Amino acid sequence: MSQSYTSTLIRLLVSFALLLCLSLFLQASAQAASDKIHYTPEQIRDLGFEIAHELRCPMSVNQNLFDSGAPIASELKGQIFLMLEQGESKAHIIDFLVQRYGEKIRYQPSFSGATAILWFGPVFLLIGIIGFAALLIREQRKTATTKANNHE
Amino acid sequence: MIPELGLIFLIISTVTAVLLSFIPLYAAYAKNHYLFSYVKTLTALMTVTITASILCLLISFLVNDFSVAYVANHSNTQLATLYKVAAVWGSHEGSMLFWVVAIAIWGCMIVFSSRYQDQLYVGRMIAILAFVIAGFNLFMLFTSNPFARLLPNFPIEGRDLNPILQDIGLIFHPPMLFLGYVGLTVTFAAAIAALIGGKFTQQHASYLRPWVLMAWVFLTGGNAFGSWWAYNELGWGGWWFWDPVENASFIPWLVATALLHSVVLSQHRSSFKVTTLLLCLLAFSLSLLGTFLVRSGIVQSVHAFASDPTRGMSILTLLGVFVCGALTLFALKANLIKSQSEFKLLSRDTLMLLGNIVLVVASISVLLGTFYPLLFELLNLGTLSVGAPYFNSIFVPLTFVAVLIMGAAPLIKWQQDSSNRLYPLAALFAAAAVIGVLVALQTRGGFNPWVWIGATSASWILLTLAYLVFSLRSQGKKVIAKKCAMLIAHFGVAISIIGATAVSNFETQELLRMGPGQGKVVAGYTFVYEATVDVDAKSYTAIQSNIHVSDSDENFIGYITPQRQTFKTNAMEVSKAGIMRNLVRDLYVSSGQQLSDTEYLVRISHKPLACWIWIGGLMMMLGGFIAAMSGLYNLRRQQLTATKPLTATQLTVEELA
Repeated sequence: MSQSYTSTLIRLLVSFALLLCLSLFLQASAQAASDKIHYTPEQIRDLGFEIAHELRCPMSVNQNLFDSGAPIASELKGQIFLMLEQGESKAHIIDFLVQRYGEKIRYQPSFSGATAILWFGPVFLLIGIIGFAALLIREQRKTATTKANNHE
Repeated sequence: MIPELGLIFLIISTVTAVLLSFIPLYAAYAKNHYLFSYVKTLTALMTVTITASILCLLISFLVNDFSVAYVANHSNTQLATLYKVAAVWGSHEGSMLFWVVAIAIWGCMIVFSSRYQDQLYVGRMIAILAFVIAGFNLFMLFTSNPFARLLPNFPIEGRDLNPILQDIGLIFHPPMLFLGYVGLTVTFAAAIAALIGGKFTQQHASYLRPWVLMAWVFLTGGNAFGSWWAYNELGWGGWWFWDPVENASFIPWLVATALLHSVVLSQHRSSFKVTTLLLCLLAFSLSLLGTFLVRSGIVQSVHAFASDPTRGMSILTLLGVFVCGALTLFALKANLIKSQSEFKLLSRDTLMLLGNIVLVVASISVLLGTFYPLLFELLNLGTLSVGAPYFNSIFVPLTFVAVLIMGAAPLIKWQQDSSNRLYPLAALFAAAAVIGVLVALQTRGGFNPWVWIGATSASWILLTLAYLVFSLRSQGKKVIAKKCAMLIAHFGVAISIIGATAVSNFETQELLRMGPGQGKVVAGYTFVYEATVDVDAKSYTAIQSNIHVSDSDENFIGYITPQRQTFKTNAMEVSKAGIMRNLVRDLYVSSGQQLSDTEYLVRISHKPLACWIWIGGLMMMLGGFIAAMSGLYNLRRQQLTATKPLTATQLTVEELA
């Protein structure tokens, strides 16, 4: 009795897991299918150049892929266009190249705890300095008015 | 013989500089007029000897004295005379010498000018300049002597000037930048002199203003020529790369821009004096930091120039001494300097303060982005790159804010203004924003926010300037003439923004494989590759591609001839772009690597309004120059009226009669 109960339970669980897997797979494949973008040739050209401008050539000193004349840069440009023709998105292509060549290839650093200062620093600095200047001027005026009062 | 003379002159000037950096300060402290009278003599001696020293280096170049290491490494018998002259400042040692000479001459001109009434202040200033000169001279003598010999085995032919520098750009770009840094050194010395004296009057601000303006003009020129040179010479088709070395000269420019507006506040309104002094210190420190960045080789750069880690340490030491000393003095004395701050929230004073803050924040952001990869690595967080996409996304919005303030400030009155004034401004902004939307809709991908920012900025500046001239017309030409320097410079900013926006967003480019007989249509122009020819010039051989260009009506408009140059002396390869330019567009072709027997990788671009970027830069320089000259003229007039009160009264009597 208990044995058959357990076996039914197991069967149920297994089928449920299978169903889950199937649905996940279907969902994934559906997503993959929808991920494929059909670009026009002009779009491929513009987007390819745009991506090549945002990535650093792994070989030359400090040049982006687009400007670099190194053989590896031409190869990677080819790779970018190939992936665009396969209908990959810009983010996907950049992620793929970052995985292969490391974070250094990205000219626009991704957002993380360690790069937060880079992104928020300027904003905080702007607000900070304006606030500081306002406080300082207010302080200066206060002392000026008290002095004037004393003179009177 | 001549190099030894040069070295002796350098040593004499160093000793004089050391003396000069103490004597005026001590004489002022002890109120010893006799000792103080030596300031002029010592300044002259220092300037003459250091100038003689650089002339000795120049002579060594001209007579091909390859026993001098610096000459042997940067010149050869085949090099054209013009480049021999340019080679004097073409690398580390010589550029240091050039820098020091320029500081000495600038300082000497100030000391011997009768414009500056406050002798004590000028004496203190020259003492600080001499201290800086002494520091750099010692640095040169101990770590990078330009006159070091290569005896007994010296090369008979010499080597070569970095081929990439053999361009008209080298004649202008580095000296301009150095002169800008020299100007910042002078303003630094002026700020320190004010702090030592414990006062910074409107009179002092009126001395400082022409110096700041000239420094700014040179820095603008240095940056503009540098970008022009990179555009023409490097064959990448870009005009600004946000490369660390470019940033190193751009950061001081931003601070200098803030400084020159702050000096105006100090001079006319007697306000923000401490801010002005602090900006002087900041600009000089950042220019030294930039030099350190470039010379030490700690950052990776395409323009890496004369880099060597040991020099880096010496420059860092100098930087530490100057900056720590200056900041300590600032902390001790800044409270003595009193400013007025009588202005309401809605006033030109507030707007100019805000604008300066935005400029400083922009410069610190660029600094942060430039140093971030370095800090990241030092803290063992891994490696990363910070490049153009980051800088654009931070810098463009900050520029937009700065531009909004810049357009509004001249239309708001000093001290306070009624809020009625805001209605025309709002109307002008609405008009600028509409123009921005109309332009932004022209981009290929529909509405582009970056184009909107660019177009709105430019039209906002132009509209506010036009409104300003319109509202001033009743006050006569004199009032407008007084403002013409500002009008020209601000107009230049608008022109540069238009050029930059157009090139960055409306460029059409193709990257393709091309060989004889093949053609391509780009932006209505037909480019046909006709032939590949070999060119043999004096210092290089080149593979040149002849590209026939015709416009949309199939009229022949000319040939574009990009080259791949190989230098004879060191086999270095560079790419020289072919550019056909006019006011509305540049056609830009550069040829890259060889792909097959006859085919090359060719890059063709149509760059609308490209040259507007540099025309705008030239206008900014012109505006700054006019302002500097009128500042000097006013000082002269004040001095004349002060020394000859009789003639002044006579004049007024005559006028009355």
